[in-house]
Amino acid sequence: MTDSHPMIELRHLHRYFGQTRAVDDVSFQVYRGQVFGYIGPNGAGKTTSMRVLATLDLPTAGDALVDGFSVLNDPDRVRRRLGFMPDYFGTYRNVSVHEYLDFFARAYQLRRRRRVEAVDQVMAFTGLDVLADKPTDGLSKGMKQRLCLGRALIHDPAVLVLDEPAAGLDPRARIELREMIRKLANSGKTILISSHILTELAEICHVVGIIERGRLLAVGSVEEIRRQARQPQNAIQVRLLGTAAALGDWLTRQPHVSQLQVNGDSARFLHAGPPDAEADLLRAMIEAGFRVVAFGSQQQTLEDVFMQVTKGLVQ
Amino acid sequence: MRVENGECRGARGQGSGARDQAPGASGQAAERGRQFINHQSSIINHQSRAGWWEPLDRALQWAGDRLNPILVKETRQALKSRQFTITFALLLICGWAWSILGVALTGPDIWKGAPGADMFFGYYVILAFPLLVIVPFGAFRSLAGEQEDRTYELMSITTLSPRQIVAGKLGSSVLQMLIYLSAITPCLAFTYMLRGIDFPTILFFVFYTVLASLALAVVGLLAGTVTSEKHWQVVLSVFLVAGLLAAFLGSWAFVAEMINELRGAFADPEFWQANAAFLTGCLSYLVLLFYAAAAQITFPSDNRSTRLRAVMLVQHLLLTGWMAWLWLGPVRGEEELLLVFMVFIGLHWYVMGMFMTGESPQLSPRVKRQLPQSFLGRVFLTWFNPGPGTGYVLVISSLLGALAMVLLAIAVKPALGFSRVRPWSPVDTGQILAFGVLGLSYVSIYLGVGLLLTRLLRLFLRVEVLLTVLLQCLLVLLGLFVPWVVQSLWLRNPDYEHFTWIRLPDPLCCLLHVFDGRSLPADVSILLVVVPGFALIVFVLNLPAVAREVQQVRAPKPQRVAEEDAQLAAEKVPPEPARTSPWD
Repeated sequence: MTDSHPMIELRHLHRYFGQTRAVDDVSFQVYRGQVFGYIGPNGAGKTTSMRVLATLDLPTAGDALVDGFSVLNDPDRVRRRLGFMPDYFGTYRNVSVHEYLDFFARAYQLRRRRRVEAVDQVMAFTGLDVLADKPTDGLSKGMKQRLCLGRALIHDPAVLVLDEPAAGLDPRARIELREMIRKLANSGKTILISSHILTELAEICHVVGIIERGRLLAVGSVEEIRRQARQPQNAIQVRLLGTAAALGDWLTRQPHVSQLQVNGDSARFLHAGPPDAEADLLRAMIEAGFRVVAFGSQQQTLEDVFMQVTKGLVQ
Repeated sequence: MRVENGECRGARGQGSGARDQAPGASGQAAERGRQFINHQSSIINHQSRAGWWEPLDRALQWAGDRLNPILVKETRQALKSRQFTITFALLLICGWAWSILGVALTGPDIWKGAPGADMFFGYYVILAFPLLVIVPFGAFRSLAGEQEDRTYELMSITTLSPRQIVAGKLGSSVLQMLIYLSAITPCLAFTYMLRGIDFPTILFFVFYTVLASLALAVVGLLAGTVTSEKHWQVVLSVFLVAGLLAAFLGSWAFVAEMINELRGAFADPEFWQANAAFLTGCLSYLVLLFYAAAAQITFPSDNRSTRLRAVMLVQHLLLTGWMAWLWLGPVRGEEELLLVFMVFIGLHWYVMGMFMTGESPQLSPRVKRQLPQSFLGRVFLTWFNPGPGTGYVLVISSLLGALAMVLLAIAVKPALGFSRVRPWSPVDTGQILAFGVLGLSYVSIYLGVGLLLTRLLRLFLRVEVLLTVLLQCLLVLLGLFVPWVVQSLWLRNPDYEHFTWIRLPDPLCCLLHVFDGRSLPADVSILLVVVPGFALIVFVLNLPAVAREVQQVRAPKPQRVAEEDAQLAAEKVPPEPARTSPWD
């Protein structure tokens, strides 16, 4: 097998729970060093796919491969290569941070000096070294997240699967976590990450997959997904002198305008027309008597793409 | 962890990168960590200079490193847990309290009497509660609790094997047993000094209590793997606690009954022979339960069955061996022993068959990679492959083997001069053979019909092992009671042992009917045609499915697996030594 083989590959993955199709024919590939953002509404099938990848669940049909090894038939080889951070903490009572990481280092068969170093490095990387003797069940949520990341990293896996790692964290902890993930990606680890905080995902992900009701709706870079959408759209932000309510009414009658949001003196909407149509729109706005203070056009954010691609359906 | 580009260094690296890039105060802490490692290294170096105890130190480090991780973690947890502290403290307090109370109650008799046995009984009760109730229930809760807290999932995706997980939990239970035992040991030594109980008796009871505790801990672990559903765990824990309390009370009764009987028994060689037989049987079932618990948590695509089947066969051989030894030795050709052998072996394989026939007939590609492929391997080892059909054939062939052993025993009996030893024996050879043939036939019928029904059910729903076991239980209950009820209503005769042809599906009644009288009843010859004939039909009906399972052949390894195996094999080959001699 060549070095260019995907580190993560889902092949027509299906996972049904009775009549519910939690994952329905999902296929994608993630290559070495890539960060893959897995996004979708609650109940879309992200966690189920990740659990299959982590060998915690079995697919109903299809397969998932990690570094070329099937999760179905070679779970032992997959486990050596994969670190999984689930959306729960899984801490023990009466176990300190150091003992917790030491246990998992032992469980991954790390011996003597290698184990000591691994625990030390992970604690240093996650900033937990100052809490080494603190019981794990007494840690704050942010620290528990760090501990879980540390546990997933303890055996130096080539692939990391992180399920909602930033959920419930304060802004500072989120930024620190994002920096850690960025460092891991820079070091060549392949990362599959799911999150609801799309702006943060957009900053660190090379590739994004959007899933809804178990089906993968789009996959590629944010730019590629934007192109895959029916029409390329720009997000336009307008600020007026005074209230923008009247502008909102006016915009609804204009062509190419969608997803309008009016907030005080500002309006934000998507515009599907070419650049000269945007210029015409601005001119028409001024001619209509709106006192425009700012008119900014920017490419769609990941949130815009997500809103455009998904329909808000849950199962 | 190995993060490159100077951002963070790996577990296998030297470890300075993390300090450079770690957020906030973690850089300083990394430095402290490094100083700690250097300090440790200097200790190790100092020790290496220390001389004579270096090998011991290294051996201890080596052993500590190879201890089961779960044992290490659970020991750390237990030493900090309130439950352990309270139990241990209570054990000590109760021990002391009983010492004071017992001495006070004995009064001046303590000098002239022999109150050791009475005192021992009190200490035994104090010890048996943690050993027979707390430790096994703790083993159950340990695994069930991990499933509730979802830490089990995190543990299961490490490289720990299911056997290591169960062994770790069991090891932790054994450690607790030893700690409790060590707390009460001075009290047990005190009873010996009081006279009235000898040292072997104390050892005997302690040994069997530890063994029972071990067996119950394995049962607790097995129960902990059965379900991860909270409500089922609650139901299971109620049954388990009831069973453990029953075992605890039973142990009281056993000790109270035996405490004054044992002394004479120690001089009898048959006592030790019986103990050896009992112990091997107990240990074999302990191993079977251990592997069953490990199989329960084994990844579904892995082989969960072959190891268990091997243990079942070892149990079969052990039973055969002990019975042969008894038959040739102490019992000297007594026919009843052959009956006992057939009853035990029949029950053993029927119960095992209930589980084996519930397995899925589909083999995963992972299991197919390990199928035997040589001619002899396929002939003899195919029956150890997972699958209901192979399990069915394994049961039938093992029982045929047992029947052949009985035939052999009967055939060689005159040559060994056993025939005239016990002329008053209530059973004759014909009855024994009829019993064997009918017993084998009934096992074949019930397992075979269960297998056919399971195959039918699989067309409509997913059938798990538990469902097959329940189906088998239902079939047997129907066979035992429906004909009896019909006979009772029809003939107005509720006597269970009364045989009529309505009772044909009832194995118990038919097998008992063989012994109606001092020789084989006349109608048994018809039974010997009808029942084995029906068994043969059921067996033949199952053959096509068995053949489909047998026809599966070894699947090649996927290319990626073969590549990695080749790479690992190459790494194991030692490098070619550098040439040092011009003649090389």
